[in-house]
Amino acid sequence: MTNKLRLVFAFAAAAVLGAGASAHAQDKVIKVGILHSLSGTMAISETSLRDILLYSFDQINAQGGVMGYKIEPVIVDGASNWPNFAEKAKELLEQDKVAVIFGCWTSVSRKYVLPVVEKDNGMLFYPVQYEGEEQSKNIFYTAEAVGQQATPAVDYLLDQGKKKFFLVGTDYVYPRTTNLVLLKYLLLHGVPIENIGGGLDKDSSGKVISAGTYTPFGWTDYQQIVSQIKQFAASGDACVLNTINGDSNVAFFKEIVAAGLSPSDCPVVSFSLAEDELRSMPTKDLVGELGCWTYFQSLDTPENKTFLAGWNNWLTTENYSGVVKEKRAVDSPMVLSYDGAYLWKAAVEKAGTFDVDAVRKVLESGSISFAGPGGLITMQANHHATKNVYIGETKANGQFKILKTFNQVYGEPWLLKGLDEKLAAQGK
Amino acid sequence: MKPRLSAVVLLLLSWGACALHAAPDAGEAAVRRTLARAILAEGAEQQSLLGEVSESGSKLAHDVLAAWTRDGVYLYHPTASSSVPVLLEDQLDAQGKARAVRIDDGHIVTDARGGELRFDPNTLDTADTDMRLRSTIQQALDALTLADPDPDARRAAVVKLGNSQKLKYIAILEARRPREPVADVRKAIDESIALLELGETDPQVKIQAIHRLTQLKSMGSLDRLKAMADNPATQPLVAQAAAAALLELQRHIERVNFFGTIFRGASLGSVLLVVALGLAITFGLMGIINMAHGEMIAVGAYTCYVVQNLFGSGFRFAITLPFSFFGRQVGFGLNLPGLNAGGWFYQSYFLFAIPLSFVAGALAGLALERTVIRFLYRRPLESLLATWGVSLFMQQCFRMVFGANNVQVDSPSWLLGHFSIDDVSFGYNRVFVIGFAIVIVLGTWLLLTRTPLGLLIRSVMQNRDMAACMGVRTDRVNMFTFAFGSGLAGLAGAFLSQIGNVGPSLGQNYIVDSFMVVVVGGVGSIVGTVCASLGIGTVDQVLQQLLESPVVGKITVLVAIIFFLQWKPGGLFTTKSRSLD
Repeated sequence: MTNKLRLVFAFAAAAVLGAGASAHAQDKVIKVGILHSLSGTMAISETSLRDILLYSFDQINAQGGVMGYKIEPVIVDGASNWPNFAEKAKELLEQDKVAVIFGCWTSVSRKYVLPVVEKDNGMLFYPVQYEGEEQSKNIFYTAEAVGQQATPAVDYLLDQGKKKFFLVGTDYVYPRTTNLVLLKYLLLHGVPIENIGGGLDKDSSGKVISAGTYTPFGWTDYQQIVSQIKQFAASGDACVLNTINGDSNVAFFKEIVAAGLSPSDCPVVSFSLAEDELRSMPTKDLVGELGCWTYFQSLDTPENKTFLAGWNNWLTTENYSGVVKEKRAVDSPMVLSYDGAYLWKAAVEKAGTFDVDAVRKVLESGSISFAGPGGLITMQANHHATKNVYIGETKANGQFKILKTFNQVYGEPWLLKGLDEKLAAQGK
Repeated sequence: MKPRLSAVVLLLLSWGACALHAAPDAGEAAVRRTLARAILAEGAEQQSLLGEVSESGSKLAHDVLAAWTRDGVYLYHPTASSSVPVLLEDQLDAQGKARAVRIDDGHIVTDARGGELRFDPNTLDTADTDMRLRSTIQQALDALTLADPDPDARRAAVVKLGNSQKLKYIAILEARRPREPVADVRKAIDESIALLELGETDPQVKIQAIHRLTQLKSMGSLDRLKAMADNPATQPLVAQAAAAALLELQRHIERVNFFGTIFRGASLGSVLLVVALGLAITFGLMGIINMAHGEMIAVGAYTCYVVQNLFGSGFRFAITLPFSFFGRQVGFGLNLPGLNAGGWFYQSYFLFAIPLSFVAGALAGLALERTVIRFLYRRPLESLLATWGVSLFMQQCFRMVFGANNVQVDSPSWLLGHFSIDDVSFGYNRVFVIGFAIVIVLGTWLLLTRTPLGLLIRSVMQNRDMAACMGVRTDRVNMFTFAFGSGLAGLAGAFLSQIGNVGPSLGQNYIVDSFMVVVVGGVGSIVGTVCASLGIGTVDQVLQQLLESPVVGKITVLVAIIFFLQWKPGGLFTTKSRSLD
């Protein structure tokens, strides 16, 4: 490189730096982390959460930011690799010094991030339905706890006269814990143990420690399981509680259709399939199957209509790289991410500082609410949130028809203990 | 709602509406009145009215009830407090409104002066249903569908009535039985009658019903029989008969599971075979550790997706590269118009997609061989790294062109569904993969052993230098062989699009399985690959059945393979070849 060229580069670099510095001088900026998988098997679900967060930040910035500070998102890729989530969280907290992180989808990734945010006293907002049995002082769960998704769905099915329940899921912590809760919940509601399908795991003393059939991530061979379901459902009044995660669902439902199991014989309630996943699924195969979430895109409320209009408008105008503009859907994890951003904003403004301890104290006070697209959401002292729960039925266009609403359900992470006590009281 | 579905609903509605115009006789007028009351009633009254309707056997009732479950029955409010259930005609006028037909008397809804009123289907209230009401309506419909022209619909209706535990249906079923032309449906009627008779009070009737259920091998009765056998309140004779029947039925289920497992094993084995056969050529014969094999499969699957779209509304994509070139955004795109085909022609897209997947896979393989692999024939470990890089590159390309999300590939209707022989069910797609595997294995075998090209391929693979000395253009043979192997991978992709998801990481799910099959079968042996895939498939399914857990089953298979390879490092069929030494 000639000296002349070098000089030109130096000038250019200086100009860029100068521009950057002047921009900073005008705006007060607060850094906020986005930690989701933008590649790998979970990217199908998690990129949408990044998009909705960018939307909420743009919206907040347009309204004047948080206490006059503009939000500057720091986006990192968890890459569907769980230990990588921990590294990236550390990077966000220690290098970028972000005020808060919005992130994680799978419970495994959250379990990896948990010790990092606890050590560095960070703050994480977690938006995806999960198994409960956890409450970290550094994590706020806008997510659906089991009591806000799986057990209301069971209530609904029992009410509809279902008597037999088959449990199937992906082999990791969320389906296993959820199914254990469901097993106890069903027993408590008088469903005999032989009417719970999928197999029971017992320890050496014969005590049931888990129920359900599990497949690994990315599993594509559901012949055996579907044939079991078919025999299980032959006597009628059966349903399937499906906690299969990710794209294995396509193979599962193709097999269900091939076996001729229709929703009127044996409906499948899926806890991991929302509108966003349905975009890339053969929805014709799923018409009439059920879903249970704290938000559906088809909700007919003014808040939801305003929210959707704003989102669609943002999609046409934004120019972030990698945001898909066409055929977008909105679903519960996205809305809970969005709610999380606004709950955090409200708490910061009330606390008057970005300091994690102060913001946490305000959030724990139970006074922070947000009238979100899915209805009012209120952060509780136990870091979980009170919100509405809806049961919906899949339509051919990938949307849900809402069948039932449970209003303002309390978020309780510790269901197992309570269920055990009640079962013991009944002598079971 | 998709246009096609709404068309079906409208068709049904118009059908109902046409029937409504027919001259009403006395019976029909009564049915109409009951129907209208049933729609407006609630709770127990609604249930009993629906029961009345279901006994009428009226075609009109069937159409109205069917429309009701599809939200096709609307409520018109002449005054604020009164409601009249109506159907809308399918003829929409320019404002998207239609005339309404009253369900209670079949007349068009008019205003006070007799002018016809028109309604917008989107703003008119629908007569709501919930799941429980729908299941009651369904039962009424079932009684009505016992006369349906489609035997499958009749059978489904019969089975549902059998599970209803309502004795009143025995009479309906018995009335239907002599008029039923299809043997299969008659069997279902017998089963349902016997099931319902379990609820009778007379022990003799019960025992006879149990005997009939045993003869019919009724799996649906298992729970009822178990409950009867375990219940201490059951009369001892009945309990005995139930216990004996249970034993017999369990034996039947074991038989069903046994044959079912063999079939599922064959089908899983065929999937493995189809996936691994291409690798058996490129890795087995040529010795290239091709980590991009999975992406060749994905090429085939995406070809299927493109062909499907060409038969539908067309395929288009546009990419803007993430950097600018001399200050200009660079990008490229493609816009292929679609045929907008419908019906059987659209359903046949898959037949066109299969050969095209082969071609696309082969072309991708050809390009890979020419640009990367031909420089690495003597450096296998470097080919591993290079092809792995290619695999990442291709995955990113899929993401750019087709998006990071999975794409929807619809299964053609002739691959959906199943048939049963003695309760063992055979999915059409699974039967198809077995046939598909047989055809491509035969094709590959013929190509390798019965054609001049096959001779050249075998000679080059056995000893590249010697073949070159004999005047074989090894370079060209390598090229063809690799392209052929990749084409087979493309075929596998076409098939996989029918049983699972199509996405950028599709290939990653199968690459390990492919290598496993080829290594167990013995590198370089096609017969070995066939045996290994069928063996692994069957063992996997048997273990899943025995251990009741797919995860443990899979782990056991993998551990077994480790031990097997300790015992026979060369795999099932060891090829003796100088080039492999």
